[in-house]
Amino acid sequence: TIGLQVSSGLQDLSLRDRGGRRRDFHDLGVNTRQAMVHVQESKTGFSGKMIKLTTNHFRLTSRPHWALYQYHVAYSPEMEARRLRSALLFQHEETIGKTHAFDGSVLFLPKKLDNKVTELFSRTRNGEDVRITVTLTNELPPTSPTCLQFYNIIFRRLLKMLNLQQIGRNYYNPSDPVSIPNHRLMVWLGFTSSILQYEENIMLCADVSHKVLRGETVLDTMHSLHSQVGEERFRDTCAKELIGLIVLTKYNNRTYRIDDIDWDNNPKGTFRKSDGSEMTFVEYYKKQYNIEISDWMQPVLISQMKRRRGNIQGSVALIPELCSLTGLTDKMRSDFNMMKDLAIHTRLPPEQRQRELGRLLNYIQKDDNVQKELRNWGLSFDYKSVSFTGRVVQGEKILQSGAMFDYNPQFADWTKETRGVPLIRAVPVDSWLLIYTRRNYDVANTLLQSLFKVTPSMGIRMNKPNMIEVDDRTEAYLRVLQQRITPDTNIVVCILSSSRKDKYDAIKKYLCTDCPIPSQCVLARTLTKPQTIMTVATKIALQMNCKMGGELWSVEIPLKQVMIVGIDCYHDTVSGKQSIAGFVASLNQTMTRWFSRCVVQSRGQELVDGIKACLQTALRNWSKWNKCLPSRIFVYRDGVGDGQLNTLVNYEVPQFLDCLKSIGTDYSPRLTVIVVKKRVSARFFAEIGGGLRNPPPGTVVDTVVTRPEWYDFFVVSQTVKNGCVAPTHYNVVYDTSQLKPDHVQRLTYKLCHMYYNWSGIIRVPAPCQYAHKLAFLVGQSIHREPNLMLSDRLYYL
Amino acid sequence: MDKSFQEEFTQIIKFQPPLYKQRYQFVKDLVEKYKPKKVADLGCADCSLLWMLKFCSCIEVLAGLDICANVMKEKMHTLSPLPVDYLQPSERSLTVTLHHGSVAHKDPCMLGFDLVTCIELIEHLEESELKKFPEVVFGFMAPSIVVISTPNSEFNPLLPRVMLYRHPDHKFEWSQAEFQSWALETARCYNYSVEFTGVGHPPTGMEKVGFCTQIGVFVRKCPQTGESVQSEKPTEAVYKTVFKAVYPSLKDEKYLQNAVISEVIFTAQIIKHRLMSKRKDGDDPERKSKFQPSMDYVSDCLGKLVVERNMEPFVSGNEVYIPLATIFSFPKVNRLCGTFEKLCKLIAGKVTLSSDGSAVMFNIEHENE
Repeated sequence: TIGLQVSSGLQDLSLRDRGGRRRDFHDLGVNTRQAMVHVQESKTGFSGKMIKLTTNHFRLTSRPHWALYQYHVAYSPEMEARRLRSALLFQHEETIGKTHAFDGSVLFLPKKLDNKVTELFSRTRNGEDVRITVTLTNELPPTSPTCLQFYNIIFRRLLKMLNLQQIGRNYYNPSDPVSIPNHRLMVWLGFTSSILQYEENIMLCADVSHKVLRGETVLDTMHSLHSQVGEERFRDTCAKELIGLIVLTKYNNRTYRIDDIDWDNNPKGTFRKSDGSEMTFVEYYKKQYNIEISDWMQPVLISQMKRRRGNIQGSVALIPELCSLTGLTDKMRSDFNMMKDLAIHTRLPPEQRQRELGRLLNYIQKDDNVQKELRNWGLSFDYKSVSFTGRVVQGEKILQSGAMFDYNPQFADWTKETRGVPLIRAVPVDSWLLIYTRRNYDVANTLLQSLFKVTPSMGIRMNKPNMIEVDDRTEAYLRVLQQRITPDTNIVVCILSSSRKDKYDAIKKYLCTDCPIPSQCVLARTLTKPQTIMTVATKIALQMNCKMGGELWSVEIPLKQVMIVGIDCYHDTVSGKQSIAGFVASLNQTMTRWFSRCVVQSRGQELVDGIKACLQTALRNWSKWNKCLPSRIFVYRDGVGDGQLNTLVNYEVPQFLDCLKSIGTDYSPRLTVIVVKKRVSARFFAEIGGGLRNPPPGTVVDTVVTRPEWYDFFVVSQTVKNGCVAPTHYNVVYDTSQLKPDHVQRLTYKLCHMYYNWSGIIRVPAPCQYAHKLAFLVGQSIHREPNLMLSDRLYYL
Repeated sequence: MDKSFQEEFTQIIKFQPPLYKQRYQFVKDLVEKYKPKKVADLGCADCSLLWMLKFCSCIEVLAGLDICANVMKEKMHTLSPLPVDYLQPSERSLTVTLHHGSVAHKDPCMLGFDLVTCIELIEHLEESELKKFPEVVFGFMAPSIVVISTPNSEFNPLLPRVMLYRHPDHKFEWSQAEFQSWALETARCYNYSVEFTGVGHPPTGMEKVGFCTQIGVFVRKCPQTGESVQSEKPTEAVYKTVFKAVYPSLKDEKYLQNAVISEVIFTAQIIKHRLMSKRKDGDDPERKSKFQPSMDYVSDCLGKLVVERNMEPFVSGNEVYIPLATIFSFPKVNRLCGTFEKLCKLIAGKVTLSSDGSAVMFNIEHENE
């Protein structure tokens, strides 16, 4: 019954954490470990060398037997207004104390009142006497979910007291921004924080966060888009560039997501106020905020309000001139120069990152008000981050055509080592098309000569292509494809003169659906630099080979009869309606061939139904290739958002099991479902030579900063040139494999070596990255499931 | 001293908009009329009037005073600058301060104000405090204008749920005659003129009761020069500052410089962009549309400038030069800097210039496409 009480307390605990959202971002209360007997005792691995690590977690220390007292507050006669309820209750500060948190019905106190039920009497302004009954409903131990959520709210209060500005979920320091005038960007330094129960302690996990803000309004952006693309494509471009972005307004401290642009409306349009009267935007902003809207021709932005009190769906109209953009658009992300300039400020190396974090803790330590608030609640922190030991598991051997290679663990890359070595399986390129515009005739020839130079050593036999010159128009490309592709064509290579997305999309769409042929698009300008042409040609040759079903390298995988599945999701922000799940499953023992499908789902539908069908076809294909069904299945599930773990565990996993059951009554493979999370705020630093460095690839962490109720671990698999390496979090939510944690960790790390678009180790297991690639291609360009003829090849690379 | 509640729970007669909003609107209108630079709200409670006033562009100093620190703290963060205030600093400067203290005490931080508002304040004062109040507000603070509002007890019979006073904390509620005689006496004593008005009209046929809230607007008769008077006043601080926010403003060199650099580079890039696309495609016809004021601006500005040879942007090798004089002629840059010298001073060392410092220089060697 205590469990019940706690969860009802959690529901009530809104305490006005902004926006009234009560989503459980930390997936508290999802206890998956208890169902897995083999990891009850221990979930730690053992292989590898020990490494001394520190992290960005800080122990929370509270006084002995600390508890939070939860009271229910009732009024007689009943009082409706929350503020009135507060005001009446706080007339009795001498009884309840100065330190309290109250949301209108639930009261939290750091001390216990003398009686279980306390009656208080207050009088309203119009002389009405009110009886207030304060009843103790719960004593919350520091580890209860309610208490944890409460810590988080208190901590956010502290950040506010430090005059940090809340944007979205994090807090930023506005007084010392970095401005990057070349790109009209401003970067604010801030912090993410969360307080959770970790393996042995409750800890604060704090990380440096950067908020990119733009010194221009949405209207400014519209103007510059207009000047770039012209009238004809203006509206489309605005939609593509702006929808999905988060804006700040000039007049309140809220963030809104742009969901639509209403071109038929403008500031002279009217809206209905809450009191029912109608008013124009111009009048409203003048009257309410004294703001004069200068451009009366601008359209109006629409933001959907999600789940405001009582599930009311509504939308808000915003005036572009009064909105500032935050964050980066996809276009900005692809601007190399901008990202480079930005990285200088946002990619902090380990030492500097810890130093910035130290500054925050210093503010907290130095601020009297903050310290007082902490003291009142009986809370305090360790101002030194926790240290512990992790393990660096041994590097893998890269197998390619009978040869075995070691790579330098420092770089986690084997481009050099495997250069000039035949591939495991080279698919001959007998019949292929090379399509280019007249302007790129020379470039096409350069590419061709280079390909002829690099392919023989890889073992790829390549015939002369069918070289076709086209006009630089989408229709011209499509016409050529329709006319010149024959049943023998292995692959189509298109040289594009600009990164115009519509042309790329049209080509991909045609070749993935109507006419299923692998294709390779190359931007002409990547082929113009003589010093890099060989490298580029090598990469293109490898990619072409994979797309046609070739195999590059492998690592040793001792488990037999295993099928590995990778799932990732892509959410289409532009049309706002579709979600796409990419599904990839291994086909052979060496994990060098992959089957793929994807699920295109409109808003409101559950992806999982489609995923079930994918799993069924994947099993059919696996058995076709291996003449039996797999005895073990590992699912690496990426794309699970904060707070969605519960749904995954209670809905998606049972569906997997259902699906397996449907295959046959005597078929019961061992299933392991692992949730993969790239966006975590945990950071690890290796203490090397008195300084802090990024931990080497292969670093595994499965103690101290993991969660006791989960079978989880972190792996640092990749390396980064700048900044701090981000560990990937793996949460094994279901496991009947009976494998030791060490083996699951090793398998996971091995799979990070198997992504064929990068001859090095990546952040996630290859199937996740393949699934991501597939979902992205479909979501961005194709918008429906590609032709299944392609499903046994990596055509989406 | 929460103004918003009172009406919610006492009214049978519904005021539309609610009475507290009408009182705030009254103050806002007054601010619009007199354009005070420094405004203090005594008994500011949850700061909602201050929050409304921060949007009035004439105000540069806002102060709040209340006897209860907790009620001020509850919403004081709404008075902090918004992220956008940092992103697009405004022309005016604005400082908002909240003090914890009593209107019966003098504190030098309350000197030099143009407007002091006391909305629904005096009826909360104990007799001893009310006695000292005129000396503190009119004698010591001595602003040009004082606004005092208070309930009109003659209206109470129309508010059925009101037994004695409208709020249990009220120490008194005055009739029109009582308020007016107090106000006239105070005005006479401190050399102010006073006019009476109010908000919350009585129902038709009962005009004699007067407004639900009665208001006195006091205007100082002789416009004294604040300085001379202030020097004689005690300087001991008795209030405790609980909140202070300084808004980013272009009056602050730091923000001005950022704004200028950003605008200069942005303008230069627009010019460069046009120059490059002209070179690439030949002289393409101007795109015209209703949604393009800023771009037409650019061509207008450039058009006028071509006359002066030395103001034309040009390309030399891998470098594009955009003369500062050209950039300065853009209204936004011009308005920000005022003088050409100031422009040069502000961007010195922050923007890459030609060797003689007369033009912004871009290297286009590594430019894509």
